[in-house]
Amino acid sequence: MTKKYIVGIVLLTMMTVLVLAGCGANNVGNDKGNATTPAPAADAAEETADTAQDTGKNQAVNVFTARHYDVDSQLFDAFTKETGIKVNEIKGTAEELVERLKREGESSEADLFVTVDGGVLNYAKQNDVLQPIQSATVDSNVPAEWRDKDNSWVGIATRARVIVYAKDRVKPEQLSTYEDLASDKWKGKVLARSSSSLYNQSLVASFIELNGEQQAEEWAKGVVSNFAREPEGGDRDQAKAIVAGTGDVAIMNTYYVGQMLNSKDAEEVKVAEKIGVFFPNQDTTGTHLNISGVGLTKHAKNKDNAIKLIEYMTGQAGQTLLTQGSFEFPVNEAADIPELLKGWGTFKTQQLDYAKLGEHNKIAVELLNKAGWK
Amino acid sequence: MYASAALRNLKRKLNGWMIISVIGAFAALIPSLYILFGLFGAPNENWAHIKQYVLLDSALQSLWLVLGTGSFSVIIGVSLAWLTAAYDFPLRRFFHFVFVLPLAIPPYIAAYTYGAMLSYTGSVQAFMRNVLGVTPNQAYFDIMSMKGAIFVFTLFLFPYVYLITKTFMERQSAAFIENARLLGKGPLHVFFRIVLPISKAAIIGGVSLVAFEVLNDFGVTKHFGISSFTTAIFKTWFGMYDVDSAIRLAGLLMSFVIGLFILERLVRRRRAYHSSTSKLKPLTRRKLCGIPAWAAVAFSSIIFALSFAIPVLQLIVWATWTYRDVFNDKFAGMIGNTLLVAFVSISLLMLLAVIVANVSRASKRSIFTLALTKLISMGYSIPGAVLSIGVLAVFISIDERLGGLYERLGWGANKLLLSMSLAMLVCAYVIRFLSVGYNAVEAGFDKIGNRYSEASRMLGAGMTRTFFKVDLPMIKGAVLTGFILTFMEIVKELPLTLLLRPFNFETLATKAYQYASDEQIHQASVPALFIIAVGAVSVFFYHWLGERKST
Repeated sequence: MTKKYIVGIVLLTMMTVLVLAGCGANNVGNDKGNATTPAPAADAAEETADTAQDTGKNQAVNVFTARHYDVDSQLFDAFTKETGIKVNEIKGTAEELVERLKREGESSEADLFVTVDGGVLNYAKQNDVLQPIQSATVDSNVPAEWRDKDNSWVGIATRARVIVYAKDRVKPEQLSTYEDLASDKWKGKVLARSSSSLYNQSLVASFIELNGEQQAEEWAKGVVSNFAREPEGGDRDQAKAIVAGTGDVAIMNTYYVGQMLNSKDAEEVKVAEKIGVFFPNQDTTGTHLNISGVGLTKHAKNKDNAIKLIEYMTGQAGQTLLTQGSFEFPVNEAADIPELLKGWGTFKTQQLDYAKLGEHNKIAVELLNKAGWK
Repeated sequence: MYASAALRNLKRKLNGWMIISVIGAFAALIPSLYILFGLFGAPNENWAHIKQYVLLDSALQSLWLVLGTGSFSVIIGVSLAWLTAAYDFPLRRFFHFVFVLPLAIPPYIAAYTYGAMLSYTGSVQAFMRNVLGVTPNQAYFDIMSMKGAIFVFTLFLFPYVYLITKTFMERQSAAFIENARLLGKGPLHVFFRIVLPISKAAIIGGVSLVAFEVLNDFGVTKHFGISSFTTAIFKTWFGMYDVDSAIRLAGLLMSFVIGLFILERLVRRRRAYHSSTSKLKPLTRRKLCGIPAWAAVAFSSIIFALSFAIPVLQLIVWATWTYRDVFNDKFAGMIGNTLLVAFVSISLLMLLAVIVANVSRASKRSIFTLALTKLISMGYSIPGAVLSIGVLAVFISIDERLGGLYERLGWGANKLLLSMSLAMLVCAYVIRFLSVGYNAVEAGFDKIGNRYSEASRMLGAGMTRTFFKVDLPMIKGAVLTGFILTFMEIVKELPLTLLLRPFNFETLATKAYQYASDEQIHQASVPALFIIAVGAVSVFFYHWLGERKST
């Protein structure tokens, strides 16, 4: 009896080791395929690009992505279908992926880094894991305001961080600016999620850039004193709290309004229909945007394929697919946007250098902590 | 003098078992040490801010969470363990099976589920509004709070206490309890004066697992907006972009947990109960009739409904809305990946756990082995995401050193061989969950005491022979418990899997997270149900093995 068990355990261990070795070997095969295609010199890589059609099957591009949306996978699939270049993904948290890139250094196999938020993209740039994207196509696809000034990254989509309000209790005329949310008239009526959300950190970082640190801190304190309840849940939960009557106005991303209007849950759709979307600061500094972007890694081994993917993602077809699937605003004007976004019309956006958001993020977190924004 | 005695002691104990456990422990230690050394560097300019605004508050919040969850898990876990171990009532066998099932549900999924269910648009309020015509006060449904977090943690972590305590009670306590019963003591006296004291080690073992889970959680606290210690670590890392301070915070957390460990071991070491007979007689159950029986059924049903039936039903309803968009042929691959990586890791992990436990038992009094066992458990005390950085750093540096060798072997110029393979993730799991497997095995050894192996050694059998002939058959159940517990942990595990996986390696947990983190709980229900199903199957298998053995 015992012997049988021991033999079983030994066999199991051996098998697992074999399986492990097998996995390792498989990976080596793949990796070699990836690694040999791009020649060390850029010139040589240029040549292989021409023959990409013939050797298409072995072509690949490796992506580290912090955007976990189904629509991104669809986009990559569509790209593979069109070019024959396979897209390999590791999904993770943006800061962790940057840390991994940093530590892997020259040996890294990642070619592209994709994430939400300009601040993080700038963090990657500062950590020296990106290189400039040189492509005339990308430059013409994406207006300069959505690109890093050194082209270390380019935007692929944006979301507006807006004020949503209870249609039955608040008139849009009562709303004006983000700054106004800190004034006494909204006492006990403001809703927002916690300050561990990057969206709130970025918003405050933008105020630091536009209005200065002191005003940003006063704003955070003002909003905290106006809270209808302690921050909890995500953006959707703020919309629900408005309809439930807990508060009247909330800070929220347009992306989630789109998601809720198209939810499978009839109750969520009802909630989304009862809230209005207001684009603040139209007469002043403009509405805050969260930008998603893609960067080319410093030690990309499949540089040409990577640039092709960026061109595809920012091109008309890719952008249309993206915005239709996620209700984000496209960066390429040629994209065909969903009716919902058309209904919101055009609006004035914050004009600032996204690199600054990354620089101010730390102070933003510090002053949110000080203001007691949970 | 003391040192030389220790050295002599060590020499005497030095054998294959010892060597393997020392090597294993050190391999498991390196990443943890990497984190711990973060404490000794000079703090940077952010540290003052963290100390002033973050540290105290988040430590207190975490403490409340741990105390609240710990107390309620003990109350629920121990009472259910005693109920199912010592009494017979209708549906007992069913309950005894399903009380382990909540472990199959990742707490963050439970948090999202309860959060959405009790929200304004959730099924509860929607029912009240649309059917009953009442719009209730939102304050009654405020699950996203400290109270709510304790509620969720308790319901989905109490099985640790339940499982370990019940195993102990069933197998170990019969002689004491029956003697007390024979001496005419009532049920309350038996429970408080006999059962609780002798089960103390098992209860503490269970509740310490609960405490570590709570301290490491990020999903529940983040969603509910609680500034716990772990949220502070991530806010420092992801918000202030300060990895060093984040590692420093993690190091603080880790030293606190090591303190807890030592405390726990001191409590446990103080007293040992060895049974007076060689026959481990199972506890005979008393039959409950009438009102007590129905009360037992009602209590058990409520716990079962809250901790499993209701959230799972809700997930199933959501899954019927979304499966068309979410479910595809890639799911088979995800299940395969989940199982593969779990089995490989657990086999390695349990092997190491058994070896170390055996060594530490043979020389329990020595400071060296005590330190060894404390240290291998360190991986469990660090938040997964921070540990992953330690593992990553170690693997990349190994790869860099071996780069030349890979090339010579003709494996291509690619340097990151190990860190791009599953090996890294497997090692990370072993480091992280060694403590879970080890605790289970150690509890098994505690239970049988030393007398059998001492007798065997006295009669001339070596350590290895004694282990296979005497110990292993007796701790089989404990090894299996460890296997199942780690299996459920690994299937749910998220932060390590997220960062350390190779390209295109998607597991059920990463898929569920992909949706949940984007507030798409309806879509997350499909992979979440798969995780629960895998966990439930393993619980079923565990019970089936247990039943077969006892007949």
